[in-house]
Amino acid sequence: MWKWLEKYSSPHALKEQGVLGMNARNYKIIAQYNNRRQYPLVDDKVQTKTLAAKAGINTPRLIGVIKYQYQVKDFIYIVKDCPQFVIKPAHGSGGKGVLVIKHWDDDCFVTASEKVLTFKDVYQHISNTLSGLFSLGGQYDVAVIEEMVNFSDMFKDFSYQGVPDVRVIVYKGYPAMAMMRLATAESGGRANLHQGAVGVGLDISTGKTLNAVMHNKPILIHPDTKAELKKLQVPLWREHLIIGAKSYEMTGLGYLGADIVLDKHKGPMMLELNARPGLAIQIANGQGLMNVIKNIDKNYPKGLTPEERVDFLLNITQANPK
Amino acid sequence: MKNLFTVRKILFLCLFLSIIFTIFSVYYKIAYWGFDLRPNRTANVWNIDAQISFMPTGQPIKVSLAVPSEPTEFKILNEDMVAKGYQIKKDNDKGRIELTSAPQTQEQTLYYRLTIYDNEDSRGKLREKGVPAPRKPIYDEKQQQTVDEILALAEAFNGSWPQKIISIFNQEPLNPTLAAFLPVKMSEKQRVQFMIDFLALKGIPARIARGVRLEEGRQAAEADLMLEAHDGYKWRLYDIYTGKAGVPKNFIVFQHGGISLLDVQGGTDSRIRFSVLKSVISSFKLAEHRAQLNKLGKLFNYSIYSLPLLEQNTLKWLLVFPLGILVVVLMRNVVGIPTMGTFTPMLIAMSLVKTGFWPGLICFSTIIAIGLVLRAVLSKLNLLLVPRISAVVIFVILIMQIMTITGYRMDWEIASSAVFFPIIITAWIIERASITWEEDGAANATSEIVYSMITAVATYFVISNEYIRHITFAFDEINLVILFIVMLLGTYTGYRLTELKRFTPLAKKS
Repeated sequence: MWKWLEKYSSPHALKEQGVLGMNARNYKIIAQYNNRRQYPLVDDKVQTKTLAAKAGINTPRLIGVIKYQYQVKDFIYIVKDCPQFVIKPAHGSGGKGVLVIKHWDDDCFVTASEKVLTFKDVYQHISNTLSGLFSLGGQYDVAVIEEMVNFSDMFKDFSYQGVPDVRVIVYKGYPAMAMMRLATAESGGRANLHQGAVGVGLDISTGKTLNAVMHNKPILIHPDTKAELKKLQVPLWREHLIIGAKSYEMTGLGYLGADIVLDKHKGPMMLELNARPGLAIQIANGQGLMNVIKNIDKNYPKGLTPEERVDFLLNITQANPK
Repeated sequence: MKNLFTVRKILFLCLFLSIIFTIFSVYYKIAYWGFDLRPNRTANVWNIDAQISFMPTGQPIKVSLAVPSEPTEFKILNEDMVAKGYQIKKDNDKGRIELTSAPQTQEQTLYYRLTIYDNEDSRGKLREKGVPAPRKPIYDEKQQQTVDEILALAEAFNGSWPQKIISIFNQEPLNPTLAAFLPVKMSEKQRVQFMIDFLALKGIPARIARGVRLEEGRQAAEADLMLEAHDGYKWRLYDIYTGKAGVPKNFIVFQHGGISLLDVQGGTDSRIRFSVLKSVISSFKLAEHRAQLNKLGKLFNYSIYSLPLLEQNTLKWLLVFPLGILVVVLMRNVVGIPTMGTFTPMLIAMSLVKTGFWPGLICFSTIIAIGLVLRAVLSKLNLLLVPRISAVVIFVILIMQIMTITGYRMDWEIASSAVFFPIIITAWIIERASITWEEDGAANATSEIVYSMITAVATYFVISNEYIRHITFAFDEINLVILFIVMLLGTYTGYRLTELKRFTPLAKKS
């Protein structure tokens, strides 16, 4: 009769593990360290790109922006020199409304998932983007056209279609926690954990797998590709961390999530930032975020440059391995 | 972190103060305005019309009418005299109204109107000490013998002396001795006078009391008589037929003692007739009258209850919302149930109150289900956002129309309650559920709707509860407490109930 209770744990037990709850995240962290005025910087991908360029963060090159409906029919001229491109809403979230065209000519557009679209289909997609179909709150939006990322083959075996990306939680400029999100058949090629993507917690000092979960349950192999998740190791880990660290200075947000992808030629690139990153990363890492945050508050120095912070972090964590 | 604690301290202080204020205010409203913690309290209010008519004799007219003066068992709400051309003077000490006028020629009709309500709590407190010894009637020897015989017979009856006397007078058939003693034909008043005489022989002061028995729709009735006897401490009323002691539940005494109910100088054939009309009014309306009776009556004029009934009803509806909002806040921030739109569940709950629970729930689910099917067709057309959601709004209106008409024709009340649901909200629910369906699958869309409905149902049970609605309306200060509770919940940083499950993989298994 009381068996269902076993699925629950006491607040005390969670607190002991330093689990950060939604209310505490909103009240103690986001409301304290994230100024609402800075949200547009991360919510609008055009602004994010401009700022990132200034801060020296690599992002996919901006090809063009479509702001008004009358410009939609001309998108073909914007992309005429680009064999591959991505269309996304400037205010989208969670990969909604992202259209990846990896090959096109005349009236034939091939998407990343090998779907063939006509000019009319793409036109419709951009129109929908402008009318706010994919945006937060359904407000009018603009369509951003950017260069396609040539994803590194490193993770080919780990992700079913889609793009594996690294999410780094950055607290006061220090990367606090990281995970890689791997698309599955169930998640429809998207990297959202609540849709059934696999979350792989990464060791913040090495970029190696700590733990992996799917639907909040620990797993060892990818359900579709059968890859052994323990073997995952993100290359250029320091560069990943530096992108995260730099986004603190770039936005002024004390608590943010940076989504980073690995390009075959250009290395790690920042795709987008999030001012309210979710808490599922704790489950993927098998540890609470509150402990890390408290540790950063207490022991980590202030006033360092992003590179210094990352080196400090790497030194201190390698000196005290878990 | 420091900031957090001061905010909380201030809010806790505000909450504490508002609780104190509410407790005081609830006490005040109950004690002085007569509010009740239970809903639907109504009180009987009686309108008594006394019609006085007489023929003037050509002399200056002086009418003197006994009126209830500060009766304890009833509270007088309103007193009104309709007497054109008369000078009206009220003598509170004697409990009489005097009307004077120059000589008149035509038949005169005057009205005295009294509005009273039951004041059940203060019955039987009419005290009067030091009543003079009764004047004994003088009988001749033969009469005296008969009376003694009658009194001896009366002794056998139960109860106190007044009750014994009343019993023997009402014996069926009448005792022959008594029958022989009393006149063959006598008025009710004479009968009571004989009772008073007999009681005087026993040394018990007694008198006639005149008043009106409050019965629904009494027309042109004469004043009712009662016997009042002093038991050494206070006057007690006795029913002259049953001998029952005490003020009957619905009886208001206009006049005590031997003086007449109505005196008319300068007129003949004077008559007084009473009409009684009962009306039931809510305790709120009464409260207004009660409030005027005490010192802080002015305060009442600035409260909700002094507003016209229509506005009161609207406010009664509005004042329950803060509690509904509290439920939504608890569901979202403490329980952690995600809902579509922050207050969508509350709007659904409001509609459920109007439609009734099951009919509303069934009807709403049907609208959503049909709407989702139509929306699925719509999504094939790839319309732009605003036209598409507009189309969904029109769909919803059409569904409601069809359901209402079929419901009416087929005599299904369930279907005809469709019109009560908010159209735009319903359309947005369909739109959002449909998008979730396409992106995250049917399971996620269904759970989103189900979670919203669970919250709506919880809210419904709170705002539809008659007691809760009464209390939030009658004691509206409670909303101040709710305000601070909601604000304090804004500083709640503990885990949500659903997180206890979500993060269980992180907890150490002991």
